[in-house]
Amino acid sequence: MFIWVLFLISALLILGTSVAALVTKNIMHSCIYLLGTLLGISGLYITLNADFVAVTQIMVYVGGIVILMLFAVMLTGGKEFVSKGQQLLGLAPLMGSKSTYVFGLFGALVFGGIFAKLISYIVKLPIDSTEQKIQSTVESIGKLLITDHVLAFELSSVLLLGALVGSAIIARPRRES
Amino acid sequence: MNSTVVSFFSQFEFFNDAVKSLSETLGFNTYAAVSLLVFLVAATVLTIVCATIGGLGTYAERKISADIQARVGPNRVGPYGLLQPLADALKLLTKEDIFPANADKFMFYLAPFLCVLGVFTTLAVLPVSSGLTLTHLNVGVFYIIAVSSLVGVGVFLGGYASNSKWSMLGGMRGASQIISYEVPITISIIAIVVLSGGMSFEKIVSSQGGLPHQWFIFHNPFTFIGFFIFFVSGLAETNRAPFDLPEAESELVSGYHTEYTGMRFALFALAEYVEIFVLCAVASTLFLGGYQLPLPETIVSKMPAAAVQLWQTVIFFIKALALYYVVIWVRWTLPRIRVDRLMSICWKVLTPFAIFNLIGVSIWMVVFKGESLLKIIFH
Amino acid sequence: MIPYIAYLGISAFLFIIGLAIMMSRKNIVAILLGIEFILNAAALNFVTYSKYSAHNLDGHIFALFIIVIAAAEAAVGLAIVIRYFQLKETVHIDEASELRN
Repeated sequence: MFIWVLFLISALLILGTSVAALVTKNIMHSCIYLLGTLLGISGLYITLNADFVAVTQIMVYVGGIVILMLFAVMLTGGKEFVSKGQQLLGLAPLMGSKSTYVFGLFGALVFGGIFAKLISYIVKLPIDSTEQKIQSTVESIGKLLITDHVLAFELSSVLLLGALVGSAIIARPRRES
Repeated sequence: MNSTVVSFFSQFEFFNDAVKSLSETLGFNTYAAVSLLVFLVAATVLTIVCATIGGLGTYAERKISADIQARVGPNRVGPYGLLQPLADALKLLTKEDIFPANADKFMFYLAPFLCVLGVFTTLAVLPVSSGLTLTHLNVGVFYIIAVSSLVGVGVFLGGYASNSKWSMLGGMRGASQIISYEVPITISIIAIVVLSGGMSFEKIVSSQGGLPHQWFIFHNPFTFIGFFIFFVSGLAETNRAPFDLPEAESELVSGYHTEYTGMRFALFALAEYVEIFVLCAVASTLFLGGYQLPLPETIVSKMPAAAVQLWQTVIFFIKALALYYVVIWVRWTLPRIRVDRLMSICWKVLTPFAIFNLIGVSIWMVVFKGESLLKIIFH
Repeated sequence: MIPYIAYLGISAFLFIIGLAIMMSRKNIVAILLGIEFILNAAALNFVTYSKYSAHNLDGHIFALFIIVIAAAEAAVGLAIVIRYFQLKETVHIDEASELRN
């Protein structure tokens, strides 16, 4: 019951804010709608018994990435956002003639067929419908991270160090030569 | 639903009896409805109590600062001026709601609510006592760090949307300060998580004792340093003096909430004071034994359950409010630091020390099997 | 029990929204924003299958690594954007046609 309510709220939040992020013309607003979507996704994680992932999602995205994006938007001039000819209904590619659209339609049909075939396989996957009890995943995730996935764990630490040093080097003020 | 309050009440006879009789009169199982009701009542009570503490925080701040500066402070409204926060709230409610020209309406209105949201959601895991807490979440400490980072977004948006130079500078300073100081806070909390073996507040509190020598702050030299790292970073995280650069009155007028009036300004102020209380509560829980009664286990087990809960709540509030006093005392004692020093303190002093602490605590866990220093010396 | 197809639907929807944002916007920051949507859709799929199909926590681990990579990507990407803005004073993606300077 509670899970259903949480699921509905999160799903509505995600649907509303993601569409709003697409249609809004101000990129600052777009970032805030991204924040709403991320909160909604973390609500969905809670309904999927993934408490640790949910909290990590809030921590990394809200505390880090969204603020970083807001900073970047502000430092790169904030408001002028919609470029020429880029409205919501201008989403369709403007280039090309009639034949482009014909080929595009044909390609879309082929890819749609392949996609539908894939989806039909996925839908047939064995799904266990027994209700699982909500239990903590923290201990098991910790154990998995240092046993089965230890290589990826260490590599991600190297990746993060590289990102830290790299972004500091790229964005540092340089002297004009 | 996984709530500590509900499970605490459901161990009593009268709760089960009430649920049973209600189910018989209404004709269906009312356990879920009654637990939801209990939970909602508990959540409302906790929110109101914390908001009152936040309101009284403004009064305490003025009174203590007056005491430190040998003045009298507010003394007109009510006995000893105790009703001053109420008068302030009334005044703010009746103020005109000014919206600056050319400001971004959506973000301007959203910012104070993001601040309040970030602070008040942390109350869900605030460990008031072993039974009367809303929930002992398995990721409790982590949840508090994560959710309170919403305040950073609120501060930044408030500064950006006001369309004013002072607000902009304050908002930028606030956001960069909050996300920088999260690093030492998180690392010093991880040291405690390593010691106690869990992120839930219940586990952290139960692995400490009630008496001072069983607290984590005196557990070993590393946690002793860790407490001060946590507390100093927490002061910066909540934008308190000596780190109140985002709202430095003398240089930025009032920082990110310069352009806010009336109730929206009050929401910012309320969020700030409640956040300080949450910080103090978390500090006392992580390092100072939390709600544990300072009595031997044999005496506590003989006391009635309700009395234990009551005394635990009292102990919790005493510890948290003592730290609250320290926060205010620090504000009216130390001058504000410079803005470039702020970042270099975070990245060049606090973060290396926090990492050193984490490594030290880990080595301590391996070498001494998690025994505290005093125990090793005296046994 | 919530049908798993609901999660997959939300995930597909998010993916499409992210793709649309990436295609329709010319601001580099907005394109990074679209990438965040897409990464989140992938992580949501992983966690869904972890609960409904695999019954282990490997999907959670994948989601955590996706979050880590998103953080690294955002840090480096936004640093590049800011540096690029310092050089060219624009964040229009079509202007970024040279590898030098």
